[in-house]
Amino acid sequence: MKLYLYGIIDSSNQIKESIYGLKGAGVYNIPFCDIGVVVSEINQPMQKVTEGTVLEHEAVVENLMADFTVLPVRFQTLIEGRDNLLSTMQSYYRDFKDNLERLRDKFEFGIKVIWPADKIKENIIKTLNKEQQKKLKLGSSPSNKFMKDKFDKYKIDKEFEAKADKFIKVMDIFFSKFAAEKRIEKLKTENLLLDAVYLVEKDKESNFREAFEHIKSTRSDFKYLFSGPWPAYNFVVFSKQSGLLTDSQQIDLLNKVTQDQMLVGADSI
Amino acid sequence: MMANTMVETESPEEFIEEIEKAQNGLPKKIDANPKTVEKGLAKLVLTLIELIRKLLEKQAMRRVEAGSLSDEQIENVGETLMKLENKMEELKEIFGLKNEELNLNLGPLGDLM
Repeated sequence: MKLYLYGIIDSSNQIKESIYGLKGAGVYNIPFCDIGVVVSEINQPMQKVTEGTVLEHEAVVENLMADFTVLPVRFQTLIEGRDNLLSTMQSYYRDFKDNLERLRDKFEFGIKVIWPADKIKENIIKTLNKEQQKKLKLGSSPSNKFMKDKFDKYKIDKEFEAKADKFIKVMDIFFSKFAAEKRIEKLKTENLLLDAVYLVEKDKESNFREAFEHIKSTRSDFKYLFSGPWPAYNFVVFSKQSGLLTDSQQIDLLNKVTQDQMLVGADSI
Repeated sequence: MMANTMVETESPEEFIEEIEKAQNGLPKKIDANPKTVEKGLAKLVLTLIELIRKLLEKQAMRRVEAGSLSDEQIENVGETLMKLENKMEELKEIFGLKNEELNLNLGPLGDLM
C-alpha cells in the first residue's frame, strides 16, 4: 500500500472535516511530533496526469488551507508505507517546522502581466532612428554590415530590457508594500513582461488586491492575470543541512513522537 | 471550507499561449533513445556552442558601444562572428534542428533564446 501525499500541516490532530482526495479516497493526517502529513491511500499505480486529478489534489490542499498552515507537496508524490513516511518526516522535521513557522497566516498570490511587446519595440526603433548619432558608422563590407545589424539589434534589446525593468520596478513598489516575500521573473517571453509570486499575510490580502487593481487601472494596454490565494508553493525553502540530524537530535525527536502517533493509519498499511 | 482560490484575467487564451511558449525550452530529460541519440547529443552540444557564441557576441557589442574597438578590430570581430553564425546554421541544418530547439534556461538570467 502506498501513501499519496498532499501537504505538511502545522497540526498533529486529526482533520475534523471529511475530505476526499484522489479517486475519492479518504484523506487523513499522520502526526509526527507537533506537525502532520496529510495523505490518502492508493492501491494501484498513478494514472496519467489529467486535469481532474490535478484539481482533486488542489482541492484537498485548498481545504486544508482553510484551517491549517500548509506546505504543499508536489503533485503525484507517493511514499511506500508509513515507516518510510515517518523516516522522511524525522529527517526533514526541522525544515518543515521552520517553514510552517515562517509561512503561518500567509498565502501566495500570482501576478502575470503581458505587455504589447511589438508596439514597445516599434517605439524604441523610432526613437533610436531619430538618434542617428548613436548608430554605428562603419564601411560597407559584409562583416561591417553584419556588425552594424547586430549592434542595432543589441541597442533595441537593451532598451527593451530597460523599459521592462522600469515597468516592473514601478509595479513591484506597489505590490511589495503588502508582501512579506516575493519571486519575480522578467520577460519569460517577449510578451510576458512579469511573472511574479508574492507571499502576503492574511490580513493584508485586501490591500494587496487593491494595489493590483490600481496597477491594472494605470495601463489599460497591458493584460493582467491575478491568482490566489494559493498555499506557498514557491516559498518553501530547505536548508542545506536537511536530513542531517545528529544522533542526539534524532533521539530527542523520537522521544516527542507518542505511541498513538506511531499507530495512526497503521491498520491499513 | 475552501480557501476561495481564484484566477482572474480578461485574456485567458493569451496567458495560456505565453506560458506554453515559456515552457518550450530544453526537455527535462535528455532523449537517449538509440534511434535519436545522435540528434539528442548534437542538440546538447549545439546548445552549449550557441550559448558561448551569444556571450561572445554580447561582449563584442558592449565593447563596440564603449568605443574600445578600432574600425579594423570591429571588422575582424564581425568577420569571425559572421563565420561562426553561418557555421552554426549549417550544423543546425545537418542535424535538422530549429532555433527554438536550442534553448537553455539560464535561471535568473532567463532563457538563452
